[in-house]
Amino acid sequence: MSLFDGLRTLIVSWAQAGYLPELLTYGFVVNALMAGLIIGPVLGSLGTLVVVKRFAFFSEAIGHSALTGVAIGILLGEPYTGPYGSLFGYCLLFGLMLNYLRNRTGLSPDTLIGVFLSLSLALGASMLLILASRINIHILENVLFGSVLTVNSQDLTVLAVVALLTLMAMLPFYNRMMLVSFNPQLAAVRGVSVKLMDYLFVVLVTMVTVASVKVIGAILVGALLVIPAACARLVSRSLRGFFWGSVVISVVSTLAGILLPIVFNLPVPSGAAIILVAGSLFLLAAVARSLVPAMKGDVV
Amino acid sequence: MNMAVTPVPGTGPAIAFGSVSLSLGGTDILCDICLELSAGRTHALVGPNGGGKSSLVKALLGQMPHQGQIAMTWPGDAGNVGYVPQALEFERGLPMTVEDVLATMVQTRPGFLGLARRHRELVDTALARVGLSGKRRRRMGALSGGERQRVLLAQALMPQADLLVLDEPLAALDEAGIRLFETLLGQWQAEGRTVVWIEHDLAAVRRLADTVTGLNRKLLFHETPEQALAPERLINLFSHSATEVPLAAGEVA
Repeated sequence: MSLFDGLRTLIVSWAQAGYLPELLTYGFVVNALMAGLIIGPVLGSLGTLVVVKRFAFFSEAIGHSALTGVAIGILLGEPYTGPYGSLFGYCLLFGLMLNYLRNRTGLSPDTLIGVFLSLSLALGASMLLILASRINIHILENVLFGSVLTVNSQDLTVLAVVALLTLMAMLPFYNRMMLVSFNPQLAAVRGVSVKLMDYLFVVLVTMVTVASVKVIGAILVGALLVIPAACARLVSRSLRGFFWGSVVISVVSTLAGILLPIVFNLPVPSGAAIILVAGSLFLLAAVARSLVPAMKGDVV
Repeated sequence: MNMAVTPVPGTGPAIAFGSVSLSLGGTDILCDICLELSAGRTHALVGPNGGGKSSLVKALLGQMPHQGQIAMTWPGDAGNVGYVPQALEFERGLPMTVEDVLATMVQTRPGFLGLARRHRELVDTALARVGLSGKRRRRMGALSGGERQRVLLAQALMPQADLLVLDEPLAALDEAGIRLFETLLGQWQAEGRTVVWIEHDLAAVRRLADTVTGLNRKLLFHETPEQALAPERLINLFSHSATEVPLAAGEVA
């Protein structure tokens, strides 16, 4: 029995005894909420760097490349419920190659990402057509849009390990990754290894994206790296407010997106619900900023 | 080409460029630069845009592959190198205060946890020296161009650099900012710190530098401001077919 099995059993038993809401008597709901509580803070915190470094399109591309990773995994015989070998392998290759060529081709990042994204989607679409004759293609809907019903202990373990690794890398290197985006030359003079930080950031975004695919889905996972941070950026005046605001918005969006379809019995996939909540918060923040002058900070 | 200027005892290094050449994409950026910069002095690099000033500085900072040697001779243990770029790639709306930006530069603790107590005095002192004590909680994007330039000067004081490499620090500064820069430069000169300074403001160079080096892909001159900024030298420096100006009688080769 894994740590998460034990935790789930404990929470379910407390719910059955009446100490916790009745909703938590369902094991899949507990699994989904644990997944949300792990990925929410990770996506929210890493998202602040994605926004500062203007990597939004990159994180979207990594998310979309997960679709191809899943297709490759199933073709190679991995279980369709968790083809993590191919997912991590393909997406890391995609991200690292993109970063390698970005430093060598002289092409602007958006042009290069556009080329890679198109290639990857074409490859994924071709493989999915081959897969269509072998498995029920509707299974892939879960991969595309996320499904809380299918999150299991293995997924939670993968999420927890990725979250831990991300935290271990973010704490000592957060400032350096940010400084590199402000001025690489200045960062280098101050002793920062610019290339290493670039690659580390790409690896972190890729790992977090891939680990979150099960809950949010390949199509929308990149959005949760961007929307909470973009929302927090609108209403905060310091780095501290920006970071913690992004984390809170991400956690609230994730938990609300998981719970609302279950509580109200809505036929909405979890990924879509999470992004709809995050998007609504973003629109509220944008309106609030335009109506309340103090929220604009002291920008002139 | 070399001109001996008496070194000033202090913490700054002497720098020797030995036949430094650099080419990018088949284009020669720097050709056979031989230059010696005395320790503890202020050395201005002047020349037209595209003349190789920034490339020479990048090579000095170890960030540009090149041919030839660049040697630094420190008076004792190797000291700190500070770099003041022209600008930061900074979105105006980004919610980062002056203190946040400086915190990301001086500490390992993530900036979102705030400035560490042990770095507070360092930041306070640097901001006071550049006249920005009252603006530490202002967003970087809300500062004027001159104030942002002062923040860049402040980071070079954290810790105080012994070799300062400045890339057109006066470009964005207002009158008060220029006076402040002159005060800082005076302190650095008195303390014997070596300053390598790219500048287009030739009046400021004449007033403040100890030596002036003219670069237009090759080394054109390296002299005192009075010799270097003579009209015929400047015409030659900024003309398309710049040639090396012969040394005047009495100059040390």
